[in-house]
Amino acid sequence: MGADPDEELVRRIGAGDAVAVQAMVARKLPRILALAARMLGDAAEAEDVAQETFVRIWRHASGWRQGQARFDTWIHRVALNLCYDRLRRRREWTTDELPEVADDAPLPDAMPGDEERRVSQALLRIAPRQREAIVLVYYQELSNIEAAGAMQVSVDALESLLARGRRSLQAMLVGDDGND
Amino acid sequence: MAEKTMNGPMDAGRFAALADAYGSAFHRWPPAEQAAAMLFAGTDEGRAILRRAGRLDAMLDRHRIDGPSSALYHAIVARAATAVRQERRRRFWWLGFGLAGVGLAGAVAGLALVTVVAPDIQPDHYVMDANATSFGDAGPDADQAEEDL
Repeated sequence: MGADPDEELVRRIGAGDAVAVQAMVARKLPRILALAARMLGDAAEAEDVAQETFVRIWRHASGWRQGQARFDTWIHRVALNLCYDRLRRRREWTTDELPEVADDAPLPDAMPGDEERRVSQALLRIAPRQREAIVLVYYQELSNIEAAGAMQVSVDALESLLARGRRSLQAMLVGDDGND
Repeated sequence: MAEKTMNGPMDAGRFAALADAYGSAFHRWPPAEQAAAMLFAGTDEGRAILRRAGRLDAMLDRHRIDGPSSALYHAIVARAATAVRQERRRRFWWLGFGLAGVGLAGAVAGLALVTVVAPDIQPDHYVMDANATSFGDAGPDADQAEEDL
């Protein structure tokens, strides 16, 4: 693992540098907000998660030491944990075991311009761990190793979650299961 | 979280598995397998697999998230000053408590060391009681004391 590109900024934040704070928010807020919005499907809740994630960043900045994970991977983990707290509160599942597939029936045909909403609905209908894998790799552009690290699973397990998630999305959005 | 290393040409099964997982864009594929994958992508089978994965990618690309509002940006920045200051103060106090604890522990350890290692302070001479002999107390109550035994 190379040098962490965020390390210097984090050190400056820990020292109370207001310019570094602004730079960190400008650099990470769009990513954290997008992550939370796709995980939760709710813009207001995503803003709350983004705010809480940054509070944790400020709290940990002065004691931050790079360990196994990069700072960016760590804040993804923090934001994801906050998302899961909210998903649990919504009682999206009733047991500790996450469902493999929530519902992969094809979504109704969209009117022009509704495709974005269809994708959002489809993402919310797959299992949260599959959604998490797809959001991290596809939308957040984390490498497979970084995504597996953020999810605390092996690369093989990540690939399995990605494949199952994409197959469900394929069935809902494209109308086949990807096995043609 | 080790990544697979690719030796030799890629087969259709692995190519399809990677496309199933990562989609049609090679930059998302594991770096160690990209070169072999690009070679296989030139085959008819490779093209068909990528075309199918690309249909879903095109749908996923339509899902865009609006950027953060200015109000959210400023709210987060405003909260930072307080949070960082509070955290630094908290760390300062914990450091103070830590140092005080270390000092206290050192004092207790020093006292214990002195108690265990250092001998009791003995007078450098012993004043014999006038009634004491080397056989015991020879004072006026000594007989009574012996009878009581």
